[in-house]
Amino acid sequence: MRRYIARQLVQLVVVVFGISLLAFAILHVLGDPVLLLLPQNAGKEEFERYRHLLGLDRPIYVQYWKFVSRAVLGDFGKSWYADTPAFSLVLERMPPTIYLTLSGLVVALVIALPLGTVAALRRHSWVDSLCTAVAVAGQAAPIFWLGIMLIIVFSVRLRLLPASGYGTWQNFLMPAFCLGAALAPITMRLVRSGVIEVMNMEFIKTARAKGLAEGRVVVKHAFRNACIPVITVLGLQFGQLLGGAIITETIFAWPGVATLTVESIRNQDFPVVQCAVVLLALLIVTVNLLVDVVVGLIDPRIRAS
Amino acid sequence: MIHAITLGSVLGLISALLAPVDVSAQTKDDTIVYAIQSDMQNWDPPNSVLRESIIMGYNVFDHLAARDLKTGKVGPSLAVSWKNIDDSTWEVKLRKGVKFHDGTPFGAKDVKATFDRVLNPENKLTARGNHAKIKSVEVVDDLTARFKTDGPYPLFVERLTAQVMQSEKVIKEKGHEWMQENPVGTGPYKLVKWSKKQEHLLIRNEDYWGPKPAYKYVRVRIIPEQATQIAELMSGGVDIIKAVPPDQMDVINKSGQARTTTSPILRTAMIQLDQAGRSGANPFQDRRVRLAANLAVDVDSIIKHVLNGLGDRVATTVNPMAFGFDASIKPYKQDLAQAKKLLAEAGFPNGIDVGFLRTQPTVEPGLIQTSDAIMADLAKAGIRTKARMVGEVGPFTNLIRDNKADPMFEFSWGYYSIFDADAIFYDVMTCNQPYSYYCNKALDDLVIQGRSTLDSKRRMEIYAKAQKLVYEDAAYLFKWGLRGVWGVSNRLEYDAPRDEVDRMWAVTPRKK
Repeated sequence: MRRYIARQLVQLVVVVFGISLLAFAILHVLGDPVLLLLPQNAGKEEFERYRHLLGLDRPIYVQYWKFVSRAVLGDFGKSWYADTPAFSLVLERMPPTIYLTLSGLVVALVIALPLGTVAALRRHSWVDSLCTAVAVAGQAAPIFWLGIMLIIVFSVRLRLLPASGYGTWQNFLMPAFCLGAALAPITMRLVRSGVIEVMNMEFIKTARAKGLAEGRVVVKHAFRNACIPVITVLGLQFGQLLGGAIITETIFAWPGVATLTVESIRNQDFPVVQCAVVLLALLIVTVNLLVDVVVGLIDPRIRAS
Repeated sequence: MIHAITLGSVLGLISALLAPVDVSAQTKDDTIVYAIQSDMQNWDPPNSVLRESIIMGYNVFDHLAARDLKTGKVGPSLAVSWKNIDDSTWEVKLRKGVKFHDGTPFGAKDVKATFDRVLNPENKLTARGNHAKIKSVEVVDDLTARFKTDGPYPLFVERLTAQVMQSEKVIKEKGHEWMQENPVGTGPYKLVKWSKKQEHLLIRNEDYWGPKPAYKYVRVRIIPEQATQIAELMSGGVDIIKAVPPDQMDVINKSGQARTTTSPILRTAMIQLDQAGRSGANPFQDRRVRLAANLAVDVDSIIKHVLNGLGDRVATTVNPMAFGFDASIKPYKQDLAQAKKLLAEAGFPNGIDVGFLRTQPTVEPGLIQTSDAIMADLAKAGIRTKARMVGEVGPFTNLIRDNKADPMFEFSWGYYSIFDADAIFYDVMTCNQPYSYYCNKALDDLVIQGRSTLDSKRRMEIYAKAQKLVYEDAAYLFKWGLRGVWGVSNRLEYDAPRDEVDRMWAVTPRKK
């Protein structure tokens, strides 16, 4: 197990290096940042002075090294727009996004686990067809459409929930559902096919032959095995979930890091964009590492390979 | 027992995470909820160019002069009167008994400190450009300040409406950093709490020198998505929203919960034609082709049918609300035969093919649909356009600035809220301005004359000449003055403001 984790960590280092290169490139592929910072009518001397001030006249590898050595300490520079450190700006907005993605994940699981299992156990019945139909509909509905539909029904018509905002539990319901609904279909299909596959395995027959009750066979033996691909995919989907958060946060005026990133791109506020890209990527990488570890713990075959 | 403790702490953690934002003793009846699309950078209005900062600044700070929304004229606010001592000196008398939110009395020292701070280039405040003509401010006595200007400065009073008064004590003792998040004004509301990107909570200033606002609290919520804003308005979560798209007006008006209100705003839209040849040699360098373009388009019917009437036709680029507007010049009428004839005379009997740089509507409602209609009309006269879409406004304006626009491109100008023809003539239309693809020495001369005299009658005459010149030279494809649309809850009385500054103290409960 230790070697397994060590291998994952080495991969992580490679990925993080790639991310840092990418984040560094953000600023440089878009042309001279000084052009963005100074007024159009600034003189040539002013430009040179600024280039020197920002260290842009140094060789590119020196600039990269400086960027990385500072980023490691959480110093991404000041936001050009808000005049505060980019790091604290991004960090401040992390929790709402994490709460949102986690609650979206919970919603997805609450929908997908029972439906997927039922669909598998009642294969080719009307229950299965219904679940498949729900999954297809869920997969087809874009988040922005679903979000606005939820608002129209639950806020405008029924007046049950606040249409937007952050802070109370009521505020969580629609965004979490919106995000979860996008993830639920693929999870449900995986649970279904996983359970179907496992139910045909020899050890299930053995369990049944031992005289175990069917419920116990499903929950204790089949489900645990069916979970492995689901956990892996959920880990991979975490990035998607964060992507969905961008749209969800915008629709529901959620003060998270996703909207901050989009806004910063629009304002060409590169320190914040760089910082957000690095932190979000680290988050995704960490989640994937955790997933790998969890899968390894559940499944001894993977540890060994 | 251990279980109970764990459970208790988990529940405690959950309720802490989900605890509602503190709204103290606020009730719906004494609160207005106002929505804006994006948050501002800081609470220091001279350090920002955003419309949101201007609006919020008006609610928490005061200006020396303020616009009367009914008459459109600029009148007293913290200043009670002003006069010229000579061509380059203005003397301003201040209101007595005004106090800042921290209790310090307001006086001439604060006026001086405010302008000294803005005018000092080292402070790099964005408002500096607005007041670059002011050389210095002197304190004459507690309630009298004297401004020295660099030559005659006809926009002096107009520009006073664009500068909030900050406190000398705060500037000196607290300093720039502190001021970014802590506004100390003299205005009708005080800031209670700013949850960034989420909400501002304002409370009524009970010691306000002017009329007392009807509502005790203002919640300013940041809601980026327009559809969500409309849904909040219709479900009673928000009371006032702005920039409603024309096609959503019906939905709001039929909701029974809210209504729309519109007002002409200080922004003129046009299509620039590259007379100066900045994009390279092109047919629009010939006056006859520019004239043909103006005669090809039926602007009136586009306003009526595509914009639902939300536009005021203009003959030139000067907005009807700006000082110097000349109503006697009548807009071009569609005349396809004449347009074709002019093209043929210019050497294009078979018409022309020309590039058209377009963008997404961020300030101009219905931009896509109206430009489509204009392209169709132009084609009828033989001006065949090839559109290039650059959706993001930043890159779009950079292309224009860097001489990389097409011979035709979409453009509109908001005058920086200065109700004066100079604010478009000088900033946009003179030679060598970054966004000007029109260059005419005769116009430049008139514009310089107009900004060098204090005599308003003389200025009117100069701007009338300038508009005639621009009109006859068909300098642009002239479009219309824009109208803004606001959505207002039916529980409130509120009219769309023509300067796009929402004044929360002017909101009252609706009479039954």
